[in-house]
Amino acid sequence: MELKSLSERKRRTFLRYLDRLGKAKDEDDGEAESGETKRKPTNWMEEAEKRLELLKLRVEKDGGDDDDKDDDDWDDFGSSDEDLSDIEINEKQSKMRIELVILGSLVLSTSVVGNAYYQKKQFYPSVVHITKSNPSMMVMYIQALVIVVLLGKLMKKIFFGQLRAAEVEHLIDRSWYAITETCLAFTVFREDFSTKFVALFTVLLFLKAFHWLVEDRVDYMERSPIISWLFHFRVTSLLLVLGVLDWHFIQVAYYATLTQGASVQLVFGFEYAILLTMVAMVTVKYALHTYDINRENPWEDKAVFLLYAELAIGFIKVILYMMFMLIMIRVYTLPLFAVRPMYLAMRSFKKALSDVILSRRAIRNLNTLYPDATAEDLANTDNVCIICREEMVTGAKKLPCNHIFHATCLRSWFQRQQTCPTCRLEVLRAPGNPIGNPAPPAAANVRPPQQQAAPSPPPPQAANAPQAVPVQPPLPPFIPPHHPFNFPFPMPNIPQQAGANDVRYVPDANGQRPVMPPPFSLPPFMPFVVPPPRPPANLGALSDAELRAMEGQERRHLEARIRVLRDIQTLLDAAVLQMNQYGILVARLEHESNNNTETVRSTGEEAPVASGQQAEEQQPGVSATSSPVENEVLTPEEETNLSDQERLRRRRVQRFMNGGEQN
Amino acid sequence: MAGSALRRLMAEYKQLTLNPPEGIVAGPINEENFFDWECLIVGPDGTCFEGGVFPAKLTFPTDYPLSPPKMQFTCEMFHPNIYSDGRVCISILHAPGDDPLGYESSAERWSPVQSVEKILLSVISMLAEPNDESGANIDAAKMWRDNRAEFDRIATRIVRKSLNIPL
Ligand SMILES: [Zn+2]
Ligand SMILES: [Zn+2]
Repeated sequence: MELKSLSERKRRTFLRYLDRLGKAKDEDDGEAESGETKRKPTNWMEEAEKRLELLKLRVEKDGGDDDDKDDDDWDDFGSSDEDLSDIEINEKQSKMRIELVILGSLVLSTSVVGNAYYQKKQFYPSVVHITKSNPSMMVMYIQALVIVVLLGKLMKKIFFGQLRAAEVEHLIDRSWYAITETCLAFTVFREDFSTKFVALFTVLLFLKAFHWLVEDRVDYMERSPIISWLFHFRVTSLLLVLGVLDWHFIQVAYYATLTQGASVQLVFGFEYAILLTMVAMVTVKYALHTYDINRENPWEDKAVFLLYAELAIGFIKVILYMMFMLIMIRVYTLPLFAVRPMYLAMRSFKKALSDVILSRRAIRNLNTLYPDATAEDLANTDNVCIICREEMVTGAKKLPCNHIFHATCLRSWFQRQQTCPTCRLEVLRAPGNPIGNPAPPAAANVRPPQQQAAPSPPPPQAANAPQAVPVQPPLPPFIPPHHPFNFPFPMPNIPQQAGANDVRYVPDANGQRPVMPPPFSLPPFMPFVVPPPRPPANLGALSDAELRAMEGQERRHLEARIRVLRDIQTLLDAAVLQMNQYGILVARLEHESNNNTETVRSTGEEAPVASGQQAEEQQPGVSATSSPVENEVLTPEEETNLSDQERLRRRRVQRFMNGGEQN
Repeated sequence: MAGSALRRLMAEYKQLTLNPPEGIVAGPINEENFFDWECLIVGPDGTCFEGGVFPAKLTFPTDYPLSPPKMQFTCEMFHPNIYSDGRVCISILHAPGDDPLGYESSAERWSPVQSVEKILLSVISMLAEPNDESGANIDAAKMWRDNRAEFDRIATRIVRKSLNIPL
């Protein structure tokens, strides 16, 4: 077998180091002086020589059929002999202690039972005698506990064989938490406290331990190339037994709650329901692993199946915990003992959810953003996927940096990070493609002009709009040409009016131009020069990635719109300011005209306007609106002083004011 | 077919054993479980760790090579970048974003391009040139900076201990 020859080579390399070690020792022997140090090197040398001989023998034999012994040698290496013997002694001692406890409890319980039977001579009276006496009950409890432990050991032997160190460690960790939580649960159910109660909790803990172990064992399947039929037999039978037991206890709890009302059985029913979800998850994992192992070629979708299974079962668990919490709070009190596991369940559900989302995103990006590697691409590289170190034949993807990987390998990597594994280019943040690969932003795919080869003027694409705006300096940066229809009021009128008023007023001011702020240098707006907006694309037809890319662009558009609205607000403010100034101006003009009515001359420009004005003035509607205002401003004496011309002029101003307000 | 992590580990094992780089031997402790490795690292020549043969163990996650393995020396070590319990703290063993000491740029972080061989070679160069900026063992980092003679003395002791030579 290939592995054998590999371990043979490993041994050979190891041997080289042993030689080196031996050399170092020889050098040292020359230096060693004191008698004390002399004694130890001999020990060490013997040991090293023993090992060397052993290994040389094996290497020469070229067989290596006694693997176990080799592994022992490996394990020993690096740890000194004293430590080893300590561990051995400890193990022996603890084994002896356990045997002593078992024997002691057996002796005690038989003596108690024997004593009772000796006194009472009959079965029932002796039972009563034992239950009435506290010390004898204590002995019986200890005996029961010992039997449970022995049963556990037996089941462990049957279903697991030897436990691995990691499994034992994990088991001990989880047991401590479980025991603490059980003690917390006892505080809630102080009234129900009885032998049966304790026994039920012991059984629960006992079964929990087996659930944890089978979970670890199934996870181990991924780590080992050698899965024996015994392994399959053990796992399937254990899963079956645990599932049946969980179901049985759920039923018991259910009927007990139905017939006797809420009791501690609520907790048991709930705990076994949680354990049942665990059995379900382990079964799914086991089935997936088994299927994977027995396939001829790699199974790429296994990770996805696992993700969804975890998500579904995590969801069920969270629901169960929430229901349990609610019921417990209504019937008893907040079940503190369930808070930690509930938190853990929620956390793992959240993780499963984010994993699913990340995985979906990774798949989407792979499908939309990166091209498949062509045969030519593959031929140009060494054709090995750096993630799995296997050859790429089909299903390879090329990233913008020209690195090529298996699509499935990339998918699982993108679930963790969105970088190229080789050069760490941030692939998702580089949609612009500095290296010039054909990975256009997804939204662009929707629009046909993208594919045109001729370098025509850039089509008004959503992608171009935000960049195009700041490029044109005279154009204010607040008009995305894409959305002229978004102006809710006749935007262009504001500047035109302001400009017109300005022109008309300068001569009026008669050289003394009123101190006005420059009329808000308004650029020529051309909202209708740009083509009308295209009808919105059919969103339903877009893929998720396209939608996402579009979403990003829509966001930019929205920001542009908000900017436009802000600028409009500024414009409006400016317009209001101008209006106020006109008002002030009008008041001042009136004042001026009162002071020197006769000196005011009409300029040449004004005359035609005035005559035109006169004609308008004949219309009753206009004069009717303007005259009351005029009357308000002017006192009767003043009015008599006004020349006709001046009156006309005033009316014009007045009318203008009204017109401005109407706008 | 075995999972992709297992297949990659087997490939790396094969590669490492057929073409072992100088100063490194590594492989699974038990070939029934490819996710727990042991390795021997030889102290680089011309440094205070010269000649030492240091055993360490590598623990791989199930999603290897997407996540980095953990490395822990199983012998006594005294080095600025090795915790007192033997855990090795170098940037190649951390995924970007997971930054216990905050000194490392993401360029030298874990990615599937790395391998057991590259890790062990980095560890050898770490033995040769400790990075006293990111101190996993503050005492060692201080001593490396301020009292090199004492550091060398301790290193020599550790080398001898690793070779089972009495002090
Ligand atoms: Zn691959
Ligand atoms: Zn790259």
